[in-house]
Amino acid sequence: MFEPPYTRTRAANERLRAHECDACGWVSFPEQPQFCKRCGVDASWSETRLHPRGTVRSYVVQQRLPEEFETPLPLAVMDMPQEESGEPARVYGLFTETDPADIEIGMEAEGVFRRVFDVAGLPIHSFKFTRPRGDRL
Amino acid sequence: MSSETDVAVVGAGMIDFGELFEQSIDDMLAAAFRDCLDDVDKGMSPADVDAAWFGTIDIADNASSGLGLSHPTGLFEMPVTRVENACATGSSAFRSAVESVRAGNTDVALVAGAEKMRDSAAGLIEGAALDQVWRGRGVTMPAFFGLRATRHMEEYGTTREQIAKISVKNHENGAKYPHAHYRFTCDVDDVVDSPQVTYPLNLYDCCPVTDGAAATLVVSEDVVDEFTDDPIWVAGSGLSVDSFERGNDESLVGFPATEQAAGQAYEQAGITADDIDVAEVHDCFTITELVTYEDLGFCEKGDGGAFIDSGEPLLDGETPVNPSGGLLAKGHPIGATGVAQVNEIYEQLRGEAGAVQADNDPEYGLQHNIGIGRNATGSVSCVNILSRQR
Ligand SMILES: [Zn+2]
Repeated sequence: MFEPPYTRTRAANERLRAHECDACGWVSFPEQPQFCKRCGVDASWSETRLHPRGTVRSYVVQQRLPEEFETPLPLAVMDMPQEESGEPARVYGLFTETDPADIEIGMEAEGVFRRVFDVAGLPIHSFKFTRPRGDRL
Repeated sequence: MSSETDVAVVGAGMIDFGELFEQSIDDMLAAAFRDCLDDVDKGMSPADVDAAWFGTIDIADNASSGLGLSHPTGLFEMPVTRVENACATGSSAFRSAVESVRAGNTDVALVAGAEKMRDSAAGLIEGAALDQVWRGRGVTMPAFFGLRATRHMEEYGTTREQIAKISVKNHENGAKYPHAHYRFTCDVDDVVDSPQVTYPLNLYDCCPVTDGAAATLVVSEDVVDEFTDDPIWVAGSGLSVDSFERGNDESLVGFPATEQAAGQAYEQAGITADDIDVAEVHDCFTITELVTYEDLGFCEKGDGGAFIDSGEPLLDGETPVNPSGGLLAKGHPIGATGVAQVNEIYEQLRGEAGAVQADNDPEYGLQHNIGIGRNATGSVSCVNILSRQR
């Protein structure tokens, strides 16, 4: 029942599946790539999984959005490590259930599975971030 | 490279930017074209034009191809190409015209840019890819640029007040600039106390939503004498794309695409950043101009706050930046923005910039755009350098 773009990225959205470049170690997420975005090689890729706890590299707090969005809406650039070894993936992360005043650069944030939005009335699920439990200020 | 043709700018035109509900995109383009023809010292008629490049992202869905320029200007039976390159659209259109003239394929080229921003505000939101999962998830324009501000303050100790000074400077210039959308002045407190749009950016850190059009005429060295005895030469041009997803930490505090485009342009011009006397740079948000000082090499990485504190980019400083008021005051009709910036550099180098004329007798002027694309993960930058000397 997913529209095609969401079907193609379902494993990434729902299981944090990613791909690591065998030539340079760069991690592609959520796309399943062919040419590497960093080294430019027509590379071979190893499937990997991201760990749902990442690190905030920068963030903003959006106050003015269309009415279907909750505000204030914190948004971060996150580095998400792989489950095993290797480089992290650098991705955008929306926050949820977090006081904007509790977000800071360098903090860890936990990916939690949430409904992100609806397409034609059908819910699309993916990860949002929260300040981890037991890590309150 | 000696077989390349030198390229000169011989005319610049634009309309007053603003909220122009009474004008269609055709109305705006025709007026900018007429103003540009009238600006040519020895005169020019539409029949002199050999080819045209039309910059628009077509945010209001009414221009779609080169025909969007042909219809209002009557320029038919020639190559007319629409260019779209995010917020670097106008500068990319200029660069495309310059490359054609430089290669010897065109003698007289028109560059025109236009955007009806106020007809369709939703386009901006869609352009920011709010509905994508992971890539560009919920990212608006102020967020994309604001992410650099948060990180720049953390990493380099840049202050909120330093960022606000960019807005104060550009509004002070814009108040003197006849084509600007906003012509008011403000102080640092006004910026810091204005409503928060996206932390850490407030309303006065953001450019307005503005309609506008601008046009420029570029010609080859072979025909320049027919049009003026006082041409301004295109010394260099660069264009590059990059993405923060590639993992370069510099992309968290600035835009590597700007560094790359500027490097190409400086190399082609045979100069360095120190040689630039006046610049029109992309200040869609205050922080964008601050990091651009660094990306263009006007100061070291991390010193953007100190650079504005020093007064160097003020109108009476050593290197005036955005004498026209920039996007913050003049407005940002996307397809027209880069073209209008080129025009301002042209007028600055001719000494015809009126109330906002740089008083340092400028030899070299630089124009810069940075745009975002690909679900707000990538950036595209175009840099053009003009010179008084051939
Ligand atoms: Zn690679």
